[in-house]
Formats: sequence, structure tokens, C-alpha cells
Amino acid sequence: MIRIAAMSMRSRRIPIALVIIALTTSMALLLAVERIKQSSQKGFNESLGGVDLVVGPRGSGLELILYTVFHLGNPTNNITTETLTDIAANSAIEWVVPIALGDSHRGFRVISTTNEYFDRIKFAGDQPLSFAEGAAFGEINQVVLGSDVAKDLGYRVGSSIFVTHGSESLGKLHDDFAFQITGILNPTGTPTDKAVFVSLEGYELIHLGWASGSQTLSLKNLDIKTIPKERLYPKTVTAAYVGLASKLSLFKVSRSINDYDEEAISAVIPGVELAKLWSIVGTVDSVFKLMNWLIIGISLISMVTMTMTGLDSRTREMTILRALGATPSKLAGMIMMETALISVVSISLAIGLVRLLTWGTADIVSQWAGIRIELSWIAADELLTLWIIVAAGLIASLIPASMVYKRSLHQGFSS
Amino acid sequence: MILKTSGLSYDFGSGKAIHFPDLQIRAGDKVVLVGASGSGKSTFLNLISGVLPIQSGSIELKGHPYDQLSGRQLDSLRADHIGIIFQSLNLIPYLSGFGNAQLGLQFSKKRQSRVDDVDQAITALAQKLGLTPELLHQQPSAMSIGQQQRIAVIRAMLGCPDLILADEPTSALDPTATEQFMTQLNTSIDPDSQAVIVVSHNPEIIPLFDRVIRIGEDQ
Repeated sequence: MIRIAAMSMRSRRIPIALVIIALTTSMALLLAVERIKQSSQKGFNESLGGVDLVVGPRGSGLELILYTVFHLGNPTNNITTETLTDIAANSAIEWVVPIALGDSHRGFRVISTTNEYFDRIKFAGDQPLSFAEGAAFGEINQVVLGSDVAKDLGYRVGSSIFVTHGSESLGKLHDDFAFQITGILNPTGTPTDKAVFVSLEGYELIHLGWASGSQTLSLKNLDIKTIPKERLYPKTVTAAYVGLASKLSLFKVSRSINDYDEEAISAVIPGVELAKLWSIVGTVDSVFKLMNWLIIGISLISMVTMTMTGLDSRTREMTILRALGATPSKLAGMIMMETALISVVSISLAIGLVRLLTWGTADIVSQWAGIRIELSWIAADELLTLWIIVAAGLIASLIPASMVYKRSLHQGFSS
Repeated sequence: MILKTSGLSYDFGSGKAIHFPDLQIRAGDKVVLVGASGSGKSTFLNLISGVLPIQSGSIELKGHPYDQLSGRQLDSLRADHIGIIFQSLNLIPYLSGFGNAQLGLQFSKKRQSRVDDVDQAITALAQKLGLTPELLHQQPSAMSIGQQQRIAVIRAMLGCPDLILADEPTSALDPTATEQFMTQLNTSIDPDSQAVIVVSHNPEIIPLFDRVIRIGEDQ
């Protein structure tokens, strides 16, 4: 019976191929959207491993996370380093890594921070940052690059770069002070790959003589060695990443920072803020999902329609098989088997197509959107979704199958 | 006894029932049902094959009364004991001659058990019916009507079913091909185990059969 069904399908290969194409593309679309969503969520969630709290100026917690971690948007206020010193005195806090944002280099954001950043910040769970080339900065004029920056701009350790004032590429260049590349990080699949790291002192130095966005003094005219060290320690920073000695004290420490009355600051838990982000994005995601399921539904309907319209032209085939002793249930089973085969073939093609697309476009998507799509065949939840589609197809095929079942042998003969 | 019918009649809803003669078919019988168009020849054949439900009377095939069988049992009985040749459009278009012939065994384990080598059995029957082995590998669309009818005969004969039913199998053939076809059909059956009933409105084939049943005349 399987051979007959296969031969019968072969004789109707063009309409069946069209249905398979429709089902394959709709299922591939569903898988791709789901995979991009999961990859972006995973990328976001894994971007700030090891950080328990982000401390910044009081305001929107989500906004703070977006501009400090994901380089989306610009900081509006700063917090003082004096406040950070106060916070760090809390015995529950193990470490504090300040960051200052604002400048850029050829479209990549500059993060000024301390060397501790490279030891404390983790990615993809608890993987530490590591250097592909060189090491962390040790001098005021040294810079570390994220992997994408080095790759895209073709930089190597030892090259010199200038930093642009502000985040716009058309901003004024800090061309009076060059940074020498001392290290290039390994890829992480996080915004770290697209960042340029300088020391807090180096960042402070290039802003000496700047007021209200204009340069009034050039470093070329200064002997940097004569500048007192304390003059180069920043009075304010954009935010700080905080690590706790114990996760159990998370809410307590968070509350104590939020209650700090010397300055309007807040401590946000990255995971909580990201959950808020996903709930906002979730609505759009639901609409996408709904549209995808509609497309799949339409494809299934077209499959059933094709089967039903094909029944009339298959009367001779069905009648001959019935006359030879095929029971109505065997013929109905044959129809369902065809549907199952179409669904399984479509699923296999959809999995292959998504795999091919992710393999072919992973680098482009990573560069364009910063989303690192995992190269995997199929996840358990995706498989479940696909089996739901097969089940829906089989249920839908009950309609033509029951038509075949009910059609008596005599009806076949007389037609 | 292969087949026994008794008191059969059939009403298509007009209120005027067609009455059929009682039949007793034994191995070796070659029976032709003749009658005018619309006399009920095909209806009689459809009742015998179990295609039409019995309204009145009884049919027994190899001792199995139809009215005591479920639909599934009747399908199984037909697959095991009856080979059917239709008037036209006998073959499944997407299967080769060989594939169509093989279908005769598809739904009957009993018939399968009677064939040791399917390829050899089909080739032997094809030779008997004057078909070349090459033709067996062609699609029905590449065959003449006569060749298609012969493939249908192979399908009906394969696995030696007890009863061969043929509904006007020569209606699309010219007189020479008709006589040749009927002779080949009659000589293909095993007189010790098989019988054949052919429906025809062609009086010229009557001499080829040893019993003539007239349908539509007063029973």
C-alpha cells in the first residue's frame, strides 16, 4: 500500500510539490523567527554574566541596562565616583567596576573602565573574557578592542587609534591623543565584541580642556607626565557593575542602594529588567507567531483542498483498489499516509532550510544585528511544534479520508 | 460449487425490480450473460461481486452467504475468490503493466500463497495472452485498449481466484480482437478450479461459452 501511495503521489508530483513548498517555507519561517527570538534573548541574557546589579542614575532601570550593557541609547546623567566608593564599602559587595560612556570610534562605542572589567565580566553563563591577542591595558594610552571591532576595522595589536567625542561618527576627533592597541578580545557573541575599552584615566585625560562639547585646550601642548594622578581620576562615571559576595543579599543590597540619600541613584537587577523587555517585545512576538501559524494553517488547508479536489480524478484508482479487495479503511489510511508523508517531508526540508540559512547568514546577522544564531539542527521545543503541525495535518486529512471511506464501491463503478 | 444465487432481484428506486435467474457455477464453467442494454447484466455482475448490496434473494460464494458477512469480510472474500475485469479504464494510470498486474495479489494472502514467483507467474500469463515481456514495463498510456484489457486479465487471473467476472471486456475491441481476447481468456482459466462469467451484448461471442444466461427476459 505504501508503494501504491508513493507511486500515486509521484503521478501528482507538481501539485504536491507546490503544497510541500508552501508548507516548508511557512514552517521554516516559524522556525527561523523562533530561533532568532531565542538567540537574541539568549544573547541579551548572557551579555552580562557575573554582574548582580547595575548601579546608575535614578530613572528607568530598563533604559540603564540598555545603554550600559547593550549600547542602545545614550546616558542622560552620571553618578559620582564618591558615591561608588560609599557603595563599595558595603561588606555584601565583593567588587565594583565603574564604566563611563559617551565617546566612540568609527561607530563602535568606547567604554572606559578599569582592568578589573576583564576579570569580572563573564558571558554565556560564567565564561570569562579572554584575549585573542595581547593583554589588558596597563598604561594610560592603551586600548583593548572587542573582536568585531578588530575584525571589521582590520586592527592588530600595536596599531594606534583616535577616539571620537560623542557617539556620532561625525563628532570631533580627539586627535591630540592616540591610543595604542594592547589587546584584542576573543569573540563572545555579546556587545563586548563591538566595544572599544580604554582606562578611566585615559578617558579622563582626553576630556581635559573640554567644556560643553568643545575643546579649549589641546593635549599636544601638555606634558602628560606633569598632570597629577588624582586629576585623572574621574569624579563621575556613567554607571557601575556590581558583584555580590552572596546572591542571597541581592534584594537587600539593591534596596540599600536605592535608599542611598546622598545622590539620586538606583540599582537594577539585569535579569529583572530584561524580563520587562521581553514582556514588551512579547506582544510583537505573539503577533509574529500568530501570523506564522495562520500561514501554516493556510498551507494545511491548501493540502487538504488539493487532496479533496484530487479525489474526483482518483475515482478510477480508488474503484480498482476497492474492487480488488481494499477495504475503505485501507484507502482512508492511504490518504492519511500521503498527508503524513507530505508533512514529514515538509518538516525535514524546513529543518534543512533553516539550518542552511543559519549557516549561510549567521555571520551577516551577527554583524548586522549583533545576534549570534546557534547552528543547531532542531531543538526539542521546535520538534514539538513541528509534530503539532503534523498532527494538525493528519486531523485535517480526516476530511478527505472520511470522504473516501464513505464512498461506496458502487459509487465508484457508476461514476 | 463456486457460486450459487437464488431469488435475486434489484430495484434502483423506480419501483420496478429487475429479477435475475438463479445461478449455480461450478469449476470449469464458462458462462456468458447476454441481454439488451439496460436489462441488468452489469447489475447482476455487481451483485455477484458484492459491489451492490443484496435487496432480496441470496448469494453464496464458496459456501459464504453474503448476507451474513460484514463489509470487511465481503471485501476480503472478493479479494480471495474473485478476479474482476471492467469494461474500460481497467488500469491504474501511474503503475506499469507489471505493477497493475501485481495488484491482483495485493489484498489477498490466500492468492499470494498460491504464487511462488510473482514475476514468473505474470510473465507466463502475459505470454499466454500474447503480450511481450517489454510491454509489462510500459505505462497504460502507451498501450492499446486490447493490451490494457489483457493486463487486466492477468491481474484478475493472478493467484487463481475461483471466479473471474468480466463486464463487457471487449466493448472497445474490433471483432477479430474480440474473438482472440475471449479465446485467450477462456483458455487461461484452470477448468479444475476456476469459472468465468462474462457480461456481453455481443451475440457473436456466445459460441465461445458453454452456458448462456439471458437477462431481462421473463424469468
